[in-house]
Amino acid sequence: MTLATAAFGSVTLAHYLFVASALFTIGLVGFLTRRNLIIMFLCTELMFQGAGLALIAFSRFHANYTGQTFVVFVITVAAAEAALALALVVLLFRRRESLSAEEWRELRG
Amino acid sequence: MDQLVNPFVLYGAIALGGVGVALALPRRGGSPQVLGALLAALGGVGVLALLGGAASDAGEALPSVYFYLFGAIALAAALRVITHKRPVYAALYFILTILSSAGLYLILSAEFMAFALVIVYAGAILITYLFVIMLATQAPVGGDTSVLAEYDRAAREPVWAAAAGFVLLAGLTTLLFSGARTLAPTGNPASLDLAALPGTIETALREDDLIGAGDKVVIEDDRAAIEYGAVQVERADGTVEEVELPADAAVSNTQSLAYDFLHNHPATIEIAGVILLMAMLGATVLSRRQVILEEEAKQAQMRALGGAG
Amino acid sequence: MIELHGIAETALSAAALASDAGTIETVTGPWWTILIPLLPLARVVLCMFCAIAGVKTKLPAWLSVGCIGASFVLTVLAYAMFADGAGEITKGWTWIDFGWGDSPGQHITGNFSVLIDNLTLVWMLFVTGLGALIGLYASEYMEHDLGLGYCRFFAAFCLFVFSMACLVMGDNLIMLFMGWEGVGLCSYLLIGYFYKKPSAVAAAKKAFIVNRIGDLGLLIGIFLTFTHFGTLEYRELFAEGGKLAHYVALVKAGHAGEVPLVVQLIPVLLMVGAFGKSAQLPLYVWLPDAMEGPTPVSALIHAATMVTAGVYLVARFFPLFSCSAWALPAVAWVGALTALLSATIGMAQFDIKRIMAYSTVSQLGYMFCGLAVLTPAGGVFHVVTHAFFKASLFLCCGAVMHGFAGQLDLRRVSGLMRMKGWMIVSLAMLVGCLNLSGFPFTSGYFSKDMILAESFVTPGMAPIGWILLFTAGLTAYYTFRVWFRVFVGPVEYEPGEEYHDDEHHADGHDDEHADHGFHPHAPGWAINTVLATLMVASLLAVGLNFVDRSRGGWVGHMLDDSTAAPIGAAAFVAEHGAHAAEHAEAAGEAAHHGSFLGMNPHAVMFYVSAVFGLVGIGAAFWLHYVGRRTAATAKADALLPAMGPVARWAQHKWYVDELYDFVLVKPLWVIGHVFYLLDRLLVDGLVNLAGFVPRWTGRTLRPSQSGELHGYAAQMALGIAFVMIVVVVLLGAAS
Repeated sequence: MTLATAAFGSVTLAHYLFVASALFTIGLVGFLTRRNLIIMFLCTELMFQGAGLALIAFSRFHANYTGQTFVVFVITVAAAEAALALALVVLLFRRRESLSAEEWRELRG
Repeated sequence: MDQLVNPFVLYGAIALGGVGVALALPRRGGSPQVLGALLAALGGVGVLALLGGAASDAGEALPSVYFYLFGAIALAAALRVITHKRPVYAALYFILTILSSAGLYLILSAEFMAFALVIVYAGAILITYLFVIMLATQAPVGGDTSVLAEYDRAAREPVWAAAAGFVLLAGLTTLLFSGARTLAPTGNPASLDLAALPGTIETALREDDLIGAGDKVVIEDDRAAIEYGAVQVERADGTVEEVELPADAAVSNTQSLAYDFLHNHPATIEIAGVILLMAMLGATVLSRRQVILEEEAKQAQMRALGGAG
Repeated sequence: MIELHGIAETALSAAALASDAGTIETVTGPWWTILIPLLPLARVVLCMFCAIAGVKTKLPAWLSVGCIGASFVLTVLAYAMFADGAGEITKGWTWIDFGWGDSPGQHITGNFSVLIDNLTLVWMLFVTGLGALIGLYASEYMEHDLGLGYCRFFAAFCLFVFSMACLVMGDNLIMLFMGWEGVGLCSYLLIGYFYKKPSAVAAAKKAFIVNRIGDLGLLIGIFLTFTHFGTLEYRELFAEGGKLAHYVALVKAGHAGEVPLVVQLIPVLLMVGAFGKSAQLPLYVWLPDAMEGPTPVSALIHAATMVTAGVYLVARFFPLFSCSAWALPAVAWVGALTALLSATIGMAQFDIKRIMAYSTVSQLGYMFCGLAVLTPAGGVFHVVTHAFFKASLFLCCGAVMHGFAGQLDLRRVSGLMRMKGWMIVSLAMLVGCLNLSGFPFTSGYFSKDMILAESFVTPGMAPIGWILLFTAGLTAYYTFRVWFRVFVGPVEYEPGEEYHDDEHHADGHDDEHADHGFHPHAPGWAINTVLATLMVASLLAVGLNFVDRSRGGWVGHMLDDSTAAPIGAAAFVAEHGAHAAEHAEAAGEAAHHGSFLGMNPHAVMFYVSAVFGLVGIGAAFWLHYVGRRTAATAKADALLPAMGPVARWAQHKWYVDELYDFVLVKPLWVIGHVFYLLDRLLVDGLVNLAGFVPRWTGRTLRPSQSGELHGYAAQMALGIAFVMIVVVVLLGAAS
């Protein structure tokens, strides 16, 4: 362990935050790019992952439990939202027989 | 401003990553996905290396090799989520991402959260996703089951999306360096003061048969009196004596988390329960809705989609 | 004759001796004098009610005649009760009265009040008298237009009388200006009465616009009067100790050069206004075209009242005009040239109303000359006599027009005197023509003679006198040309253009015209009454000359106590280095009097002008009566080839209208179009740009609302990135 530590240097908060940001960004890019509704929601879940990781990292590095408490909430809300979102996606699919987000553009200006 | 790393190199690495992601996204016809993935990987490694090289030696070292391992897997799996053409594979790669995240949580001493993540996210949410993907698959056009739907085959505006996203990442990273200085972990990790949990102390002492059934730990101001690794115990006959704390009288993460919940945020669990209840009700209501599409409308829609595809 | 000469001499010297010449004192007058202008104004409101009620009888006419007649009665009452020597001011109500400081030139007052002095009474007597008579005439003349048109006519008519009363009776320059504009407006309304005829509308516009040009001069004159004299009220302007009295004293003492330049400029500007309103060169072009209006309008407005407003202005401000070295000579020359020019044009016209219009312009020139050669009595007397005989001439032309369905060409109508029912018209016309030509012992003869004589007396005005004499001969010729062509000779007539319109009107005259023959419509009792009254009045006006002869007749007596009294000297006279007044009282026959061919003008002018008049009448008799077999031809036609292009030019009014069109109208039209383009491009362009920019912005930004989820998401991401970069930069800059 000590050797590994010496080889890679100690890991700071910045590292964890970078990974969290990268996860968030990848999720964002996916959301902007993919047209499949379900994949789009999956990408939002990826963004949740990034946020959660950042929260846990801060909690560890500030030595209190507020971050972890909040992540509990994040997971709760993510679960609730996923359930409802998927129900809506199924309904939308039934109307258009397609999962493409581009099928729904009736709110155009 | 005292900079941790040279910003230009940092931005260059991030740009490289962006280019890689843009290339990696699916396209009609042949796409250099592998090349893109390699470039993205290169970018990511570059940044991490930079960060690693600049890390100071102050403070206690966290297990670092596991961080790099889990981080790399998480990022690679996330990349694969967004670039894979088939939805089911995307969901499966997402599960891999969750597992890597759980690993990262473990390193950060959030054991409860790690496993909660796996149980709830990977076990419940992702399974739901997989079910819906199966449910909502478009009927194959022309009977060829291997042909993907149009919307899965090609990504939309990959360049602009990648640009937007990675500009955001560059901004975030800069903020890291200007605001969040190298913050080394302080104190005992997840150290909740044992003194705040006299019940736990009693249980541990009893398990080790250090105190009897009628003995209590002395409590002063809602805290047990602990000094230098020894706790004051009041025996049944009223005498106060010091007992050495056993080695395993420690507070686990779950206990700390639970204590924090109930002590500092008492109503939150209730609210969380209400949210879940509402979601359940909503899902039930939504799923009862019948959408009846005429057969001709269905055929017309399929033809429209097929024609566009 | 010597007796006459002596009396005239004495008139001049007596006037010169008047110590308060050119000033007036004022007292407060009786309250009912304010009703004189207000009664016609009330009538206008009544006419409106008549129009609203849809009255279809001649009620508006009787009401108008009644109101104006009441004004006339009040005027006579005022004349009877008027004490010589002081003007009476009756205040109606306060209109403009504010000051912004305490020093004399910082308070402006223009109340609705009337000033009654002799000058006012002279004018008001014939304005209201003629107004009532012509209203009676118009009640029959306009009967083809009963209903709304009738009410409109009489409303404008009464408004005109009100405005003229304000002009003449007002006691300050603001009232005068209000009346000035009012008569211009009513002239426009009445000339354009037949608003469906394009030529009438054009004539109305021309009248108004040409008047406007003159009004600009008047307005600037009023402004300068206020800035220099500090007041606009006559009471203060002509006060005994005021600035104007001081200047008059300077001129009388022979120091005319000390009068400041502004004071010499004001009369010139007022003169421009007078020329516009009274149709002198170069602003006379509107008067002949104004004949498009109904004949009563021509008679009242363009013969007797409105066009004399300019003469009134000069008369009222006579002291001011006398102080200026250029004003009176300019007035004289313009008047004389106008008289000559329009007489030549009148000789070549065939439309009898046009001939009378040009004759009016010519006679107005005479009136201005009268004032300019320092006989305001002569000028104003000519105004009075001209009002009566010109009104009667116009009304006779109107009777001809009314009876022959609009026929006015003297080549088409002949021998009216021998037709049944036309005797009174013919006699009235004869009397009027005699007055106009200056036939001996008519009132026109005496008034013209006063002017002619004085023009040879005043130094430096002899050329004016010769021009006026020659014009008198021309006047006699063209006047009797009309008489000899239209009223005597073989009986022959053709209907005018309105005949065909009458045929299409189903109003009960169908049986007369059933055989497609045309029967002339002899005038009814109203027209005949009025013509007879005017004829008698013209004849009786001779008597006015003999009343109070020592002071220049009744008119001279009236003017003596008003501002129009001659001050015995004038600035331009003084320039000739003559202390005329002092020499006049020193010797019976001053060596510095002007002379006529070596003889005393007052003595011989009676004979000379008579000779010229008779020569003119004789020429008309020879050329237009003797040997004439048809209406259309006469011996005069034989002369036309001999005169060549001159006759043609004269008939085309010397192309003055065309010249104005080329020099003024076309460039203004071009400028108007340029400004129109500027307005379209620049002003509208800017406004349209203000409308275009938001629309263009909206159009450009609209595609961002594509309804696609990804588009919105991308915009959100970019927005967050932008905000973050801004924060980073700011943070970076701050720390």
